Amino acid sequence: MSANCDIAFTLNGVKRELTVPVQRSALEMLREQLGLTGTKYGCGEGECGACTIIVDGATVNACLMFAVDCDGRELVTIEGVAVSEAGEHLREAFVANGAVQCGFCTPGLVVQASHLIERHPDADEAVIRRGIEGNLCRCTGYRKIIDAIAAAAQASAQGSEHGRG
Amino acid sequence: MGAGDTPLARESLIGKRIPKMDAPDKASGKTRYIQDLNLPGALHAKILRSTQVHARIVSIDTSAARRLPGVHAVITAKDVPWQRPIGVAKDHLPLKTDRVRSLRDEIAAVAADSEAIAEAALELIRVEYAPLPAVITAEQALAPGAPLIHPEPHGADASPHLKAPGAPVAFAGKPDNVAMTFDYAQGDVAQGEAESDVVIEDVFRLHYVTHCCLGVSGVIAEFDPSGNLLLYSNTQVPFLHKREFAELLGIDPARIRIIQPPIGGGFGSKLDIYPFEPIAIFLAKITRRPVKLVFTREEEFIASPTRQPVLLKLRSGCRKDGTLTFRTVETLHDNGAYTSWGATTPFVMMQTVSSLYRVPHCKYHTRAIYTNNPYAGSFRGYGNLQATFAVEAHMDKLAEALGMDGLAFRLKNAQEPGEITPQGMNFASCGFKDCLKTAAERSDFLRKQAENRARWSDPQPVKRGVGMASMLHVGGGAKIYPSDGCGTILKLDDFAHVTLITGASEIGQGSETVLSQLVCEELGLPLSAVTVVNNDTDITPWDVGVHASRTTFIAGNSAIGAARKAKAKILAAAAARTGLAQEALDLRGACIVRKSDGERLFELGKFLRGLHFSDRAELVMTSFYYEPPSKHQDKQFKGDVSAAYAWATQVCEVEVDTQTGIVRLLKVTGAHDVGRVLNRLGIEGQIEGGIVMGQGYALTENLMVENGVVRNPNFRDYKLVTAPEIPAMDISFIETMDGEGPQGAKGVGEAPAICIAAAVANAIYNATGTRITALPFTPENVYRALHGAATPLKWSVAA
Amino acid sequence: MAGIERYEAPDTLERAAEILRAGKVTVLAGGTDLMPQTQDGRVQFQTVLMNVRRVPELQGIAEADGAVRIGALVTITQLLESALVRERLGLLWQACDHFASDQIRNAATVGGNLCNASPAGDTLVPLLALGARVVLSAKPNGSLETRRVPLEAFFVGPGRTSRAPAELLVAVEVPLPPAGFAGEFYKHGTRPGLDISAISIAAGARREGTVLRDVRIALGAVAPTPIRATRTEAVLEGRAPDAARLEAAAQAALEEVRPISDVRASDWYRRELIRNMLKRVLTHVCQL
Repeated sequence: MSANCDIAFTLNGVKRELTVPVQRSALEMLREQLGLTGTKYGCGEGECGACTIIVDGATVNACLMFAVDCDGRELVTIEGVAVSEAGEHLREAFVANGAVQCGFCTPGLVVQASHLIERHPDADEAVIRRGIEGNLCRCTGYRKIIDAIAAAAQASAQGSEHGRG
Repeated sequence: MGAGDTPLARESLIGKRIPKMDAPDKASGKTRYIQDLNLPGALHAKILRSTQVHARIVSIDTSAARRLPGVHAVITAKDVPWQRPIGVAKDHLPLKTDRVRSLRDEIAAVAADSEAIAEAALELIRVEYAPLPAVITAEQALAPGAPLIHPEPHGADASPHLKAPGAPVAFAGKPDNVAMTFDYAQGDVAQGEAESDVVIEDVFRLHYVTHCCLGVSGVIAEFDPSGNLLLYSNTQVPFLHKREFAELLGIDPARIRIIQPPIGGGFGSKLDIYPFEPIAIFLAKITRRPVKLVFTREEEFIASPTRQPVLLKLRSGCRKDGTLTFRTVETLHDNGAYTSWGATTPFVMMQTVSSLYRVPHCKYHTRAIYTNNPYAGSFRGYGNLQATFAVEAHMDKLAEALGMDGLAFRLKNAQEPGEITPQGMNFASCGFKDCLKTAAERSDFLRKQAENRARWSDPQPVKRGVGMASMLHVGGGAKIYPSDGCGTILKLDDFAHVTLITGASEIGQGSETVLSQLVCEELGLPLSAVTVVNNDTDITPWDVGVHASRTTFIAGNSAIGAARKAKAKILAAAAARTGLAQEALDLRGACIVRKSDGERLFELGKFLRGLHFSDRAELVMTSFYYEPPSKHQDKQFKGDVSAAYAWATQVCEVEVDTQTGIVRLLKVTGAHDVGRVLNRLGIEGQIEGGIVMGQGYALTENLMVENGVVRNPNFRDYKLVTAPEIPAMDISFIETMDGEGPQGAKGVGEAPAICIAAAVANAIYNATGTRITALPFTPENVYRALHGAATPLKWSVAA
Repeated sequence: MAGIERYEAPDTLERAAEILRAGKVTVLAGGTDLMPQTQDGRVQFQTVLMNVRRVPELQGIAEADGAVRIGALVTITQLLESALVRERLGLLWQACDHFASDQIRNAATVGGNLCNASPAGDTLVPLLALGARVVLSAKPNGSLETRRVPLEAFFVGPGRTSRAPAELLVAVEVPLPPAGFAGEFYKHGTRPGLDISAISIAAGARREGTVLRDVRIALGAVAPTPIRATRTEAVLEGRAPDAARLEAAAQAALEEVRPISDVRASDWYRRELIRNMLKRVLTHVCQL
């Protein structure tokens, strides 16, 4: 068994200190040590996006990240995204557009979509499709997910306009 | 009620875009799937699988694994001498005794304090094998002198007290590698052939694909001190599995409770018991602790079921006037080492052969053959993708041979409402011709087909093609068991809140939302007034399970039945209170109203409280069991097996790059006879998802099984369709208002995945002039076919 | 199972080099290859896992002395977002656009992609075509030493490079292509990005009147390493790219490749693709 390491990081806005085995993935740390089960295991190889989280403002596959590499960084998981304004827009849009079926891929997609909208507030169909190419969904055929992300982007844009006004 | 209240008009939820009730939780990461459940004190289990495709087990040494700290139990077949064979043919012991028959075979299992310890323990188990010659194709399995997969009886040496009546204890073995055969005939194919002006014959090969549920397989098993089993399971058929697990354990089924947490995708994969489930139960029994067993993705690829790979020979004929005369089909199903539902897909395949179009003379023969390959289960469409692929290729080829357009040829032979086919299916509602015409018109099929064909000899390397295919599938359940029914219990509380307790499982398809809609439609309540309970066999009434696109139809009718009884009870009480006739009353907007003008008479909640707390102390709680008017097929496979049938036509437009073989699916125009649209959002989602699953089957997915080994057990090389690849989708609904369906609806869950591969094959032909009869249409396969470098398909099968 | 005994996260290049010199070190950058490779046993962990993320010398994209220096820790997303890369190293930018998924592009580093040395590595092929060299640092006798190795000499086999165990890949330097140089990257697959190439092609040149100059061609997934197709380049250099010349180039390329059959493609198909797609890519390059 491998060595342990003490790390400190920010998780969904809260500072955390933790001891993790060096070989452990961030996904295992989140699910097994911290009980944050919204981040899903789908493949463990970065091919399905079910474990997408945000690290220092960019999305990554938590299954490909070493937990020790979280040290000193800022993590946001679906649990954090869900209570943000962007997350609320996304949840409403995913629900209203029928973008959820079995729902197993949905947390990863919501996290990835929040990042996509932040980077590309005016994302068109092509940009949205490319933006979620790393998230597999077996149920929906993606159509309604793409529509939901477009709707959420629009809602966010309107929200920020109101904010400015 | 206040005098100023406006009268309530009747409002309907049917056909609206209703969001799924479980979607907000799922989109927030709050839904707890089986992978997310951790019971206090639970152990983690892992399975040791065979490293050999076919071998005798000489010895298994678990001593080092047992000594590893944190290991609570290591079991092999020797530790569970009472285990019994599982599966559709009961040919499969959960833990193998003396022989492994495929690489997935379970040899030992460990329960430990953590997954990591369990994995470490697996590495300490030593297995000695004596390799046996492997059988890696169905053709090879039938050759004279081929090695036998199940040569001798195997199974439990169960002590007598475990023997439940009728439960097979051992599998008798098979002397010839033939797991199952299916024969169906109508008319006289020799006569049909004699009457034909055109006769064609082709061999088709359909490949391995697998479900790829995003949530991997998992189970949690726990016994209480009295020996009652609680199982957290992803099963789609909890009540059937209760019985099977009981037989397996030799206990009374009443002592088994199955709880179904939300499931990360089903698509038919959870229709059978697989060895991992009994193994978790064995470990829980032995350790007296809750045991959780969850697959890795690699395990999911290797050890969960596949779609049935099929070699199929089709011979068809027609007259000069375009009338179909006969079809003869022979198939070889690669059964793999054990028998699951995949072997029984001929039930569905023969329906497409005999009854999608009117064909007077048909003969159908299937043999499901044991090999040392992975074994196949049920998968959305259930054989229909394979049958439709062949039948629709021949519809195009026959039309072309006659010089007829493919649409006119199909219309000439298409089924019509009221038809009772020679196989006994009664097409009470049938929108097939409307499907054909709608899909063709909306896609401009005939013009595009002619234009593409005219460009065959153009020099540009990228070609366009358009292709059409249609399908018939059960849409009103399928009576493959003596009952195809579903029960509902409905309870209204003091606040007019409905608890709908249904036997029908939610597997992500949105059934709880549709069932709530149907109940609200009857009771005049908003959707927010309903809670659905559908996941606990101690609470829910009987249901056959989620399969055969049956849930909306069967469970829907059941829910309506319970709601109508509740409504009648409420209105009878209101009639007694008001002196009005019961027929003059209605439920609208959570009120009891006068039907004629909508005037509010009582607020429903208040009225129910009145009932409840009156001298009569009446609760409004009803139950209903719906059994569809379908028939179990006879031994000749004849009978009206479903209470309704669904139809669809899909037109696919593709781009074929002849210099790379890459085929892009640009657009799918689908017309679906769904009876009636209940939840537009939900049904669109089912159809879009099915189309893209069909796209994967046609173009990208290929479980590469070579010499019994899955060569691509990962999403890197088993390629699901991703968002950038999806086609434009134009979907039309043909509403035929089925007389038996709930609000006129028919089942649609499987339909959209069925035609895509067939339509894409026809589109590739239209683009290039090359007809490919083997799936998948991955770039290299297509390139080889276009450039004459493909191995021709031959039927070289021993009789 | 051999485990990691120590985790190190140095914050200077000096310190990183010292740790490497002590030996038995697995270097962690983005982790996108290391995690799956160690989990399925293709790569064994050494006793020290060294995370180089905090080493400042491994960061940054900058132009100097006619070359673009790309720090080893620069992610694929950072390359995509760099105006310098987009405008001056278009071939590399295109390959980054075809690289895996957003999540992986956000984590994967150019240094990791180079050290992983997959024959199908997406950034490797354009970097080879552009004549890039890697900068390797080590601290053998108390002071940092640096050497530069052209990519052709860096890749020695599938997953193998000429980096010594005590060396750290610090950066890759890409000479700026001459003015007028235009190129195209082609990756064969059904998906835009998230695919392992069955073959890939990076080709570029400059038009001088009717002829091609500074022809650069590199090919991926057709040999044990990505290869620079120098003989193919020679067939085109200084010549007019007519149909016969392109055919000759394709034939020359077929003599340079040594493809294998695997789950992604047969050797025969890879050859067909090289022939067909090299001609198509070169046709596009001539039109740029």
